[in-house]
Amino acid sequence: MGDVILTMKNIDKSFVGVHALKGVSLEVKKGEVHALMGENGAGKSTLMKVLTGIYSKDSGTIVYEGKEVEFTNPKEAQDAGIAIVHQELNMMNHLTVAQNIFIGREMMNGKLINDKKMNEEASKLFQRLNIDIDPDSVMGDLTVGRQQMCEIAKAISRDVKVIVFDEPTAALTESEIAELFKIIRDLRKKGLGIVYISHRMDEIKVITDRVTVMRDGEYVGTLITEQCSKDDIINMMVGRTIYEDPKEKSSVPENAPVVLKVENLNAGKMVQNISFELRRGEILGFSGLMGAGRTETARALFGADKKESGDIYVNGKKIEINSPQDAVNAGIGYLSEDRKRYGIVLAQSVAQNSTMSSLQNFMKGIFIDKKKEKKVSQEYVEKLKTKTPNVETAVINLSGGNQQKVVIAKWLIKDCDILIFDEPTRGIDVGAKSEIYHLMNELAAQGKSIIMISSELTEVLRMSDRIIVMCEGRKTGELSIEEASQERIMHAATLRN
Amino acid sequence: MKKKLLSVLMCATMVSALVAGCGSKAPAESTTDQSKTDTTTETTDKTDTATTDTASGDMSIYIVSKGFQHQYWQAVLKGAEEAAKELGVTIDFKGPDTESDIAQQVQMLNNALNNKPAAIGLAALDTEACLEGITKAQQAGIPIIGFDSGVPGAPEGAIAANAATDNYAAGELAADETYKIIKEKIDSATSTVRIGVMNQDATSESITSRGSGFIDKMKSLIEADGKTVSIEGHDKWTNKVDGANVIIDVAVPAQVTAELSSIDAQNLLNKADTICIYGSNQHSGEGLITGDANLNKLGTSVVGVAFDSGELIKSAVKSGKLAGAVTQDPVAIGRNVVELAVKAAKGESVSNVDTGCKWYTADNMEDADIAPNLYD
Amino acid sequence: MSAKTTEKKQNAFLNNPIVKAVGTQRLIALLALIIIYIVFGAISPSFRQYSTLVSIFDASYYIGFMAIGVTFAITTGGIDLSIGTVLVCSSLVTGALATKYNVPIALCLIICILIGAIFGLLNGLMVSYMGLPPFIATLGSMMLSKGFGSIFTKAQSVTWPQATEAAGWFRNIFKINIVGANGMSTPIPTGFILLLIVAILMATLLNKSRPGRYIVALGSNIEATRLSGVNVAKWQTLAYIISGTMAGIAGIAYAAVYSTLLPGGGAGFELDAIAGVVIGGTSMSGGYGTIAGTLIGVFIMSVLKTGLPFIGLQTHYQQVATGLVLIFAVFMDVANRKKRN
Repeated sequence: MGDVILTMKNIDKSFVGVHALKGVSLEVKKGEVHALMGENGAGKSTLMKVLTGIYSKDSGTIVYEGKEVEFTNPKEAQDAGIAIVHQELNMMNHLTVAQNIFIGREMMNGKLINDKKMNEEASKLFQRLNIDIDPDSVMGDLTVGRQQMCEIAKAISRDVKVIVFDEPTAALTESEIAELFKIIRDLRKKGLGIVYISHRMDEIKVITDRVTVMRDGEYVGTLITEQCSKDDIINMMVGRTIYEDPKEKSSVPENAPVVLKVENLNAGKMVQNISFELRRGEILGFSGLMGAGRTETARALFGADKKESGDIYVNGKKIEINSPQDAVNAGIGYLSEDRKRYGIVLAQSVAQNSTMSSLQNFMKGIFIDKKKEKKVSQEYVEKLKTKTPNVETAVINLSGGNQQKVVIAKWLIKDCDILIFDEPTRGIDVGAKSEIYHLMNELAAQGKSIIMISSELTEVLRMSDRIIVMCEGRKTGELSIEEASQERIMHAATLRN
Repeated sequence: MKKKLLSVLMCATMVSALVAGCGSKAPAESTTDQSKTDTTTETTDKTDTATTDTASGDMSIYIVSKGFQHQYWQAVLKGAEEAAKELGVTIDFKGPDTESDIAQQVQMLNNALNNKPAAIGLAALDTEACLEGITKAQQAGIPIIGFDSGVPGAPEGAIAANAATDNYAAGELAADETYKIIKEKIDSATSTVRIGVMNQDATSESITSRGSGFIDKMKSLIEADGKTVSIEGHDKWTNKVDGANVIIDVAVPAQVTAELSSIDAQNLLNKADTICIYGSNQHSGEGLITGDANLNKLGTSVVGVAFDSGELIKSAVKSGKLAGAVTQDPVAIGRNVVELAVKAAKGESVSNVDTGCKWYTADNMEDADIAPNLYD
Repeated sequence: MSAKTTEKKQNAFLNNPIVKAVGTQRLIALLALIIIYIVFGAISPSFRQYSTLVSIFDASYYIGFMAIGVTFAITTGGIDLSIGTVLVCSSLVTGALATKYNVPIALCLIICILIGAIFGLLNGLMVSYMGLPPFIATLGSMMLSKGFGSIFTKAQSVTWPQATEAAGWFRNIFKINIVGANGMSTPIPTGFILLLIVAILMATLLNKSRPGRYIVALGSNIEATRLSGVNVAKWQTLAYIISGTMAGIAGIAYAAVYSTLLPGGGAGFELDAIAGVVIGGTSMSGGYGTIAGTLIGVFIMSVLKTGLPFIGLQTHYQQVATGLVLIFAVFMDVANRKKRN
């Protein structure tokens, strides 16, 4: 590690009525990967927005390369050499890779754009990163992982000295993560200051040098990664100890009946001949790498996408599922990995979202019985400990974990006995995560059956009674929790043809 | 998704093929019929008109009108069809969807040219837009006969002749007759009085001429009696005179729709000093009547005068809501355009025909020389 | 907690009972309506007359029915461009049936509404089942309805039976002329009562019933609504059927007030209606619709339409003024929403 390149000191920022940053400090050295951690809402993003000129600070100082600076817009920060790789990629899917990288500062040939030169320059960037992407390919055709590489290439295409990664691995496969880490180490070697925001403890231990922890807009402390344990960091983030060990044995009784049986489900390349059973009170984990076809299997089962063939039995009876409506009527509920797109209607209230699937039970003649709607959704807010001012609050104002609970409430009010949780804790902070885990266990204990799709091995091992592993659209393993381990799952998840 | 789109496209293609099939079949049949009958007439009637018939039997005339929105055009079509039958020529009578569809009319003119007719009848919505087509026709030696409002401002010699109402004169006629009714009111007025003029638009020749004819004549009549006139309301006609005895107030709606003309009429009717309103075509006349529905001033405190006929205007004249109206002779226009076209195609010399116009009131509207020109 | 306190602070104004009942955007629109009316009245004495008020009502019926209907289509996140020409088409066809084929007026009115509903159904099927973008689908049916009306009437204008005729009774739905002792007749704008009843019914449908709830939900997030087990295609289609049906009713209103229908016309009517909807505060991106707002927006449009000629503005200036009011109203909404976020 070299000299300090960036110091943010006593940064204060308030929005109307919200004190978002209360005297936060952060110091980044050249050739350092510095983790910035904290639960959602801790103020990490706000701090980074202050750094990159999206927000202006109320007080405090930013010293960059020995000089006090104040960026009033993102472009100034970029020009000074501070780049940010966002969690949500800001790419124009219809443009080519090179066009994306050089957007806003196109290379010109007189009055015309010189695409050839931009392709060459982009190639050079990729060479520097040791990755192989055709700069002339269309951005939308690339995987999320590759798109992220392009975002990094875009960042380093300027003379960048500090680079911020905001949850870069959220959508990446294991191999892509490995590739990303190689790049980050490479950048570190070149003496860049790197800020790394992530929720994944394992990654923090692997890739970062120091960790700064924030909580509720306040600075908690900075640790040297090597010298601390995961628990130390977690404790600093939440101020309490969190249980992270794997489940030891299945909690499903021997004689529990099969509630869902899927036979030879086929739906395109990503779902080939998938068969499995789900028992009452069971949490069935679906593991695999990104693109293994787990979500596609769930969507085909749920009727969200068309299936080609396959039989589905619920409680021993064969049923036809051709639309989500059929699935819901059969008592199956689906919690999507992408809540905001597929799970909830952001602009509508907690109550309206809660009763969406069972509105017919809330009618008084032709009118919606709003009193009953409020009463029932309030019950579930209490049952699930959803944090919301009231049931009439629009869900857009709730945190990720609480939005997830509203979706769960929706299916419970519909009285669904089979619940598909697709990445239930993605983008949810550590505290809310354990609450969701707790809730899932409770539901299973009450006799609900759960299919849980998860990309986090620790999560799969911790929650599941049984684990199905998929790879490239096929089922490549089925493990009881007793025999499962990270290694065995990874082995099955990479069993390619 | 793609499949669905494809199937939709296929459906559309099939349907359009069907429609096109039907559409093209009918005229094809009728032309063969026509030629058959022509041949028979040729053989039987050899004696006196053989040569003419041979010449005109193959003759097809394209007539591009301003559309069929107003019943007026049905009467023109009727006259044209009668003349065509008598002269033994084929006519193809076309018109755009609305009187604002200039581009569509240009397209029709071009189509007509492509069919190389013996002559073309044209009532241009916009001369400038038709200019290219007119030039082409000149080069191809196809004579053009203007009708209705004709083709004003067309290059010298491009239009062989016009069969049209002299719209300016028609406007003057309206002013003459109106002045007879309101003269007393103007003479006895102690303060300013207002005469409203409703024009459907400020671009088409027929409308603006009728407006101008009325305004100019009215102005000179009033001034002849020693009073002053100020013209206001629309830039095209404005000629403001402060403190004038009579204000001529011109209203033009933004679009040719019934509700806008009706609102214009209400606005004029609502002005306390208005003594008379003139609607310069069927549309404006109807707007005047509709606009009066909430006010009931026409026929009592305000004198209403309109142009052309149609059910609304006819019944308003009959009931006395309108003092009278000017009617053109659309049947004669239709007849004349075909007759002139045939003559011009044969190379005979042709000259303009004024098809005339008449003033009608509740008293004379049943007369033999008026009634046939009043359509529903 | 912190979210709660901020909400409280911001809501100091919003919690005012009057503001709460009407809604800020609608309040702004209502104020604008009142201001425009007062300004016009100040400039032109004849604008203040009762008969002018009746004219304003007259102009509000057909725009109003169209706007109420298209509010549903817009709330789904779509648009219905066909309402203007569907209005003219349905009214042309049934007007011709009434005058040329002597079909009883009562039956004609039903057919008029049905024609609108059929075009709405067509739009709905194209959007929900065939997956066409609403803009394109309704642009297509705009042309279809325009052509169909002209074909049926052989491109001739149609004049509906007059109030004085027996068959003209339907005009009384929208306006009754009461003849006073002095022989002067006074028009009563009964159509406003009908418009109000329909608006209340439609507001109830949108806010308090299941179809309405689903239409709002799918306008906000169609995928999430579908995955909740809701048959989104059905409800989306319904929204367009409502839009078309209301255009059919608007066709009757137009005929009752303005008598004459010109074939090939109607394109442009939909823009008045859509402008009214937007001014009223319905979100063009879907997920939020307000019938009360729409009604206010409609009256702004009809006051402008009726009033601008009264204050002595020539045609071209009238168009400029209408455009400015529209842009200003929506800008106020956008600015207001930004402030709240």
